[in-house]
Amino acid sequence: MNPLRQALREAIGIALSASVLGIGYTALTERGLFAESSPSRVRQPLNTSPSLMINLAAAKEFFESGDAIFIDSRHAFDYRMGHIKDAINVPLAEVEEQDELLSGLPPEKTLVVYCDGADCNSSLELATHLLAKGFSNVKVFFGGWNEWQSTGLPSETPAP
Amino acid sequence: MKRLLSNEYNILAARVFLGAVLVLACVDKIADPGAFTKSILDYRLVSGLAAAIPAAVIPWIELLCGMAIMFGLLLRGSSLLAGTLLGIFTLAVLTALIRGLDISCGCFTQDPSAARLGWLKVGENLVLISVSVFVYFSKNMRFSLEQYLRSRVGDP
Repeated sequence: MNPLRQALREAIGIALSASVLGIGYTALTERGLFAESSPSRVRQPLNTSPSLMINLAAAKEFFESGDAIFIDSRHAFDYRMGHIKDAINVPLAEVEEQDELLSGLPPEKTLVVYCDGADCNSSLELATHLLAKGFSNVKVFFGGWNEWQSTGLPSETPAP
Repeated sequence: MKRLLSNEYNILAARVFLGAVLVLACVDKIADPGAFTKSILDYRLVSGLAAAIPAAVIPWIELLCGMAIMFGLLLRGSSLLAGTLLGIFTLAVLTALIRGLDISCGCFTQDPSAARLGWLKVGENLVLISVSVFVYFSKNMRFSLEQYLRSRVGDP
């Protein structure tokens, strides 16, 4: 038999077996595809109140008051490509390494955390981390960089 | 070069490496298909059932392909399927990077705070695809279950 045809037959056989096993397993365990609720990963930290979230108008107000420190939780590369003016970068993945920087933040200031926008989780998770570290004035700007940038508010982007 | 590629120990090392990576990759996904669905949704390419069905099936493809490649059974089919899967995943990673998505890979862990997706992942995937291609075209079947079974059938 043609080797490619044989490989295709084998591949289809494995894929079909995996489908039966995968769908059977999720059905039996009532997980994933057959879970009663939506995906199990928590989108919003459980120990936070709705007042944690702020919209663009509130973020703008915090920015103009000068009483807040904006924290960009995205990857350093994304931060370098553009961020809210004067925001500091604490990528979620490097939060342990940035512990010294976080400990040095003035506790009286409001910390406004943001990431890309409504579809990213890192701002929520960084906010949870900050709350756990004892910061009480923590807010999550849920619209994030995408919303801020689209409205032309003060930003820092690399020179062309 | 040809000798290097047809060396039975190199082929075995490639099979064990690729198989182990695939098996390790499936563990967290099988343990929590819901979280893996979320990881697929994070790429913002598909939604609903188009994410939930692959989330249920892909980990088992990884498991079956990983075991088959490691033990040397249905080697061509499993390496072809693994390579195809890795190719599709690499395309998804590329589109995510081009769109500037701030997401974790969802490869070995479904922890959303895991390392963010980066160009390194594309490099890793290309290495794995190359190993799949190598395994697919490898002719030396020594140390494989397939050869063992064939020799048993061939025995008088």
